Amino acid sequence: MKDIELKNQEIENTIKDLAKNLLKDRKVDMIIGYTKGTVPLSSSPIFITREEDIDKLIWNNLCYANLAKYLAPRGPILYNKEGQEIKVGIIAKGCVGRAIIHLTVENQINLENIKMIGILCNGIINRKRIEKEIGEREILETSVMGKNIIVKGCDFEETFPFDDYMNELCKKCKVKSPPKVADSCVGECLESPPLIEDDFNDISDFESKTSEEKWDLIKETLSTCTRCYACREACPMCYCSLCFVDQNKPIWFGKTTDFTDIFAFHFNRAMHLAGRCVACGACSSVCPMGIDLNFITRKLEKIVKEKFNFTSGIDKETLPPMMTFRMDDNEEFMMEED
Amino acid sequence: MPNPYIPMLTIIKSIVSENQANDIKTLELEFKNEEDYNKFNYIPGQFAEISLIGKGESPIGIASSPTEEGTIKFTIKKMGTVTSGFHDCNIGDVIGVRGPFGNGWPVEDMKGKDIVVIGGGFAFSTLRSLITYLLNENHRKDYEKITVIYGNRDPGEVLYRDILEEWKKHDNIEVVLTIDREVEGWKDKVGFVAPIVKEVGPSSDNAIAVVCGPPIMIKTTIAVLEELKFKDEQILNSLEMRMKCGIGKCGRCNIGNKYVCIDGPVFSLAELKKLPAEY
Amino acid sequence: MQEMILMKDQVAKLFTELSEEYNVFAPIKDNGYIAYRKITNVEEIEFDYFNSKIPPKEILFPQMEVLFEYKTDGKNVIEIEDRKDLDEKNLLFGIRPCDAHSFVLLEQFFAFGNYQDEIFLKKKENSIIVGIGCNSPKSTCFCTSVNGYPFQKDDMDIFLVDLGDKYLVEAVSDKGRELIQRFAWLSKASKADVKKGQELAKKAEDLITTKLDLTNTSECLESNFSNKIWEEISENCLGCGSCSFLCPTCTCFDVIDENAQYENRGRRIRIWDTCQFCLYTLHTSGHNPRNSSIERCRNRVLHKFSYYPINYGLIGCVGCGRCIQACPVNNDLREIIKKINNIKTKEEENIIA
Repeated sequence: MKDIELKNQEIENTIKDLAKNLLKDRKVDMIIGYTKGTVPLSSSPIFITREEDIDKLIWNNLCYANLAKYLAPRGPILYNKEGQEIKVGIIAKGCVGRAIIHLTVENQINLENIKMIGILCNGIINRKRIEKEIGEREILETSVMGKNIIVKGCDFEETFPFDDYMNELCKKCKVKSPPKVADSCVGECLESPPLIEDDFNDISDFESKTSEEKWDLIKETLSTCTRCYACREACPMCYCSLCFVDQNKPIWFGKTTDFTDIFAFHFNRAMHLAGRCVACGACSSVCPMGIDLNFITRKLEKIVKEKFNFTSGIDKETLPPMMTFRMDDNEEFMMEED
Repeated sequence: MPNPYIPMLTIIKSIVSENQANDIKTLELEFKNEEDYNKFNYIPGQFAEISLIGKGESPIGIASSPTEEGTIKFTIKKMGTVTSGFHDCNIGDVIGVRGPFGNGWPVEDMKGKDIVVIGGGFAFSTLRSLITYLLNENHRKDYEKITVIYGNRDPGEVLYRDILEEWKKHDNIEVVLTIDREVEGWKDKVGFVAPIVKEVGPSSDNAIAVVCGPPIMIKTTIAVLEELKFKDEQILNSLEMRMKCGIGKCGRCNIGNKYVCIDGPVFSLAELKKLPAEY
Repeated sequence: MQEMILMKDQVAKLFTELSEEYNVFAPIKDNGYIAYRKITNVEEIEFDYFNSKIPPKEILFPQMEVLFEYKTDGKNVIEIEDRKDLDEKNLLFGIRPCDAHSFVLLEQFFAFGNYQDEIFLKKKENSIIVGIGCNSPKSTCFCTSVNGYPFQKDDMDIFLVDLGDKYLVEAVSDKGRELIQRFAWLSKASKADVKKGQELAKKAEDLITTKLDLTNTSECLESNFSNKIWEEISENCLGCGSCSFLCPTCTCFDVIDENAQYENRGRRIRIWDTCQFCLYTLHTSGHNPRNSSIERCRNRVLHKFSYYPINYGLIGCVGCGRCIQACPVNNDLREIIKKINNIKTKEEENIIA
């Protein structure tokens, strides 16, 4: 088993080669990828149109943004000055690929103009969890070595086991590379719609709680939400030109930091993501208050899988459960018990 | 100092439907408290934040002139949630008013000059206030020739028909009405505002032009005024922006370092050219 | 007035004496991060901290605030009730110099013009700021680039220095002096204490590594409004509120009416808003003067580094570095300023936005 940092280096080299060739052969007009962040535990999405900038591309375990966000309909990136759609190459870890496929199913992007530079992602570091554990000390440098994450400050060095300090969603990830769709994928990809088997045992703890305990946990987790909407803006599936929470004819829910309003926003957004969320964890990675929404995401995913046998973004043909109905749809939950 | 966000309470005294489509109404408001009315000293061109308390607030230009005593008038177009709410109101309903806000038309600086008032469509509201003020017997002698050019899409859209008829009867003001396309029974001019302004050809000598209307009308009219040798300082505009507080605190109406609610809404073309084109 | 000493184990005594008269706000730990909250018990205070996630502006200018309340007769408003709590006294404990300076900027902004925001100003008038020097600034701090420094006390009423097991206490304003004089049991600081304070100050200033040259920035910004560089700066911006909500000087807000429909009452509130949201400047007609992230990102930077200096003679940024830490796409303000400063020519590739 190769060390993580060696794998990352290989992936980075492959990305640069593939991206360079795509640009050079004019197969794409732009590459969307990640570049090194200016503060530790961060990375920055980058848009490259010139070959000489290819070296700015990186791959590491801090590439937490879901780049498919920039392809969603609001993104002006996809059009050139004449208003024509351009071709884009995009660095695609599994969840980015899933997002692209799901956006295609929802008719929001034209897959013909997208080339996924697929990579085999080995997981994203849970940056907020590490930040909280380091507390008030300043982190100056992070790296991955062997099986560990090394975090250095000016007078400390701490080690965190990588497998434990990955994003909770990454721990249960079954789609580490983008599923192959037509010839949209270069690089690493999954050949056929992968068979998703998930025991969802990561949320058994949450599920075994009583209603009161669940409510307390939800309240504790969400109480510091400041309604900045970083979670919504980072999510590739949140592309509505007028979000339900911004509507005023009528005003459906409040925008304050009163807990009833916070709960209403997060849980309604979750409902709107049922069968659409690709479990990329970007929402939790970007939250300035370090709120981890994984328990909502995972529970939603489990319900959708159990009731509809559906996983989002793994093939182009199957319609998502909230957008269609099948004659064999599960109706038990609607029926009264005899 | 009092809380600047608390509105004064007024009661709707009358409601007049101004256009055929019935989506523009003028509400006449009477202050519940006489003290509030006495403190509400405004000049034409200013606006107020009027509330349907419970629904929201809208910044609306004051349509009445301070020379029309007793009540204040607002002409409101039905556009969004709050303005639709105003349209559902009845006589006797309570409306909140905060103001007057903004800088208003510079009626002092305009003294001794020819005034050319050019309006398009629904934006005529604060121009009604201005013209009524200028024509008032105490003020008329302070101003020279007054020319009004007012354009609309069709005759049904013309606001303030009664008062326009009255003005036409005066010989101390020239009123030119125009509609976009020929309609049977229409006796005034036909054509977009800009070419009609060219036709009327007001002199730019010692004159101030006041232009209010939709963006395209403003653009074309300014081009004509420049042809007629009006300088940038002689052309005045009233800008519209999204506003919430009306007092320069909520931040959203800024253009560059200026706030439309306190440094405007009236800006001369000279001032506008110095500001970034974000409006 | 001579400097005093407050032992850390005496803070409880101080709190007991003050809590009758003041709402005491101090740093606590909430969900893993530091926040300034009203405390009822001195045990809640987190003494070992760098700075809060949300700046202390939220004490006097909270995320959600009532402007007024009203009663109706079922249809129309019959009574309006003003805020009654604005005369309460507040003690803000443990405020860093950057955040203390932000209160000066906030006060300047809310007091500007013919109409003043009485709600904020009354609360500020009734507040006393007990600030503390920064012994270990972070690498993202740049207060020294915006006319500040880690031990700046000008904007505080009382200035503390953390000497380890005790605080060096210095009165800065008359308000501060009056308060300190009430605590006769405070011991006088020794020459060694004062010297240690000065050493810590020097050490802290040396730790500031980020230095931005802002001498020409305001001018560069004014003369390059349509420059293509803004496309590059804004291309990965998501348009969320992280930078604005965590900024000590951002003050934009939205106003909403809330009804308790069946109880014939309601309230008008304000909540934080930001020019980064795409709906911020949207007119009801559909026209949006700031239609893309280019205009929105540009507005924020200009507001802090150009419009603020023009309107108030002050730079609208306190160098706390929170936006740099919080930005989901790592849009680093330091990089933005560098790019602006490095714009060579004006004619090159202007965009229309």
